[in-house]
Amino acid sequence: MIEVAALETRAGAFALRDVSFSLPRGAWGIVLGSAGAGKTTLLETIAGVRPAAAGRVRLRGADVTDVPPERRGVGIVYQHALLFPHLTVEENVRYGAHDPEHAIALARRLGAGQLLGRGVRELSGGERQIVALARALAPRPDILLLDEPFAAVDPRGRTRLRRELRALQRELSLTVLHVTHDFGEAGTLGDLAILLDGGRMVQAAPPETLFRRPASAAAAEFLGAENVYAGSATPLEAGADDEAGTMRFRAGSLELVGVGETGAVAHAVIRGEDVVLAREHGGTSSARNVLEGVVAEVVRHGALARVTLEVGELPLVATVTAGSVSELGLLPGSRAVATIKATAVHLC
Amino acid sequence: MSSVAERGRGAHRVAAAGVVLGALLLLALLGLPIVVLLLRGGLSGLAQLGADRELRSALWLTAQTATAATLVAGVLGTPLAYLLARDRMPAGALVGALLDLPLLIPHPVAGMALLLAFGRASPAGTALAQLGLAVVGSRTGIVLAMLFVAAPLYVSAAREAIARVDERYESVARTLGDTPIRAAWRITRPLAGRGLVAAAVVMWARAVSEFGAIVILTYNPKVASVLSYDRFTGEGLDAALPVAAVLVILALVPLLVLRSLRAGTALGEPAR
Repeated sequence: MIEVAALETRAGAFALRDVSFSLPRGAWGIVLGSAGAGKTTLLETIAGVRPAAAGRVRLRGADVTDVPPERRGVGIVYQHALLFPHLTVEENVRYGAHDPEHAIALARRLGAGQLLGRGVRELSGGERQIVALARALAPRPDILLLDEPFAAVDPRGRTRLRRELRALQRELSLTVLHVTHDFGEAGTLGDLAILLDGGRMVQAAPPETLFRRPASAAAAEFLGAENVYAGSATPLEAGADDEAGTMRFRAGSLELVGVGETGAVAHAVIRGEDVVLAREHGGTSSARNVLEGVVAEVVRHGALARVTLEVGELPLVATVTAGSVSELGLLPGSRAVATIKATAVHLC
Repeated sequence: MSSVAERGRGAHRVAAAGVVLGALLLLALLGLPIVVLLLRGGLSGLAQLGADRELRSALWLTAQTATAATLVAGVLGTPLAYLLARDRMPAGALVGALLDLPLLIPHPVAGMALLLAFGRASPAGTALAQLGLAVVGSRTGIVLAMLFVAAPLYVSAAREAIARVDERYESVARTLGDTPIRAAWRITRPLAGRGLVAAAVVMWARAVSEFGAIVILTYNPKVASVLSYDRFTGEGLDAALPVAAVLVILALVPLLVLRSLRAGTALGEPAR
């Protein structure tokens, strides 16, 4: 279990501030944020290699804020692996292990068996990450901190390693805190996602909530929401089927019905995959938002396509399958109708 | 257009010729005295080594005291260099400035300062004499003078060598169970090893060549630099040349060692 309360850390001119979250034992936490957001600093502070300037770090229920890293029982894997270059792969894996045989077995399980006799400089980026992972797990920590560990691994190896690591995590009840830029990884692995921006924590929530209900427009844009509109909201007289917090949102000529927490709403966020496109109005849709527009652009990405619709003076991006684009005959200049459920319009 | 381009090329050629000429002039100023000295005294100096007992003894004393001073600097200076490299030294900027000071003051002045601090009349000198470590006119004095003028070079070079080792290696070692000292010993020491040896070689070479501070503290027993001065003032240039030439030849050894160390690949530099 990792608990962080009002954590503040300084790293030169950079400061990480106001970070608070709780990650239960055996859970997988994801740390998201742009470069310089403080992700690595957060991991280093939890590991104890960087002192906390304020706030507390609790591991397994015990306050470890002032405990040195060698007594925290935390493994860390850095983005660049940082294998000790003067040691062989086997010496690296055994470095902190109390049971060398267990360390070697672990390395074999992770696919580093044939690398053991080699020098660190002979390894590829992906191989280094695997060895670094084995080295971090060899002392049997119950908390593992991962700083973009799969970044240098090829896609096939990444899938295999992710699966193996997930299995190990479940088997050993490891609590994992994982920095990644891969939103897919965040969605498939994470129980809790922590979003950092400019040294501050923006939001900590289950990944689904983070992506569906980002705390701010900046968070929504970072998390890849295609449609973020600035405007204002007014309370709506709730219908029988409406969720609490249903509001009417206006941005220029665009009018939407969405859901948010009443208060200072300034933005509407719609993910592209929540926009359903048709050539003309369907009679039976229960969606609260039906918008007509003209197709401005169609960009295909493999099996998917981004269709930009001009609705009044504002663009609305829909993510649909490439097959749908062909079926509907969506070409630039053609007219289309977009329907969006009120619950898919997040007001923040 | 073409005349402008030609004028540009002409100016470039003149500038290049100026740079080459300046470099040759500087090299001649640096190299000529050494070459002449070696030509005049080199062979006779080497030949004299067999017969000149005083020269052999001075060289042996120089090597012993320079080695002792380097060892002391290694033991006391490496932890200091580590703390400075890792920004963990309280008042690090002040300590850095203090370390630079011996490099900037004239060496006879350094000798006088040492005499005042550790001479027979000083409390420290009296205490050391009672321990059998009299500073004036002794090997201890030579080692002390060498240490004073050359240890800052060791600390500075060792600090750079340690700073080149990515600190995160130690962080990883700490999470694997090492205490700070153990991590520095198992990780940073071997990774900075080549740089630490180079720092020791620089210090040793500087200690061997020291004259000004030593001559104030300890004229006798004579190290090689004092012997060459003694022969120059007592017997003239020709008598001093063989000793001086042997000292130059001796300086080539650390130079070659340094070259070979720098040719090796650096380990442990920050990953990119």
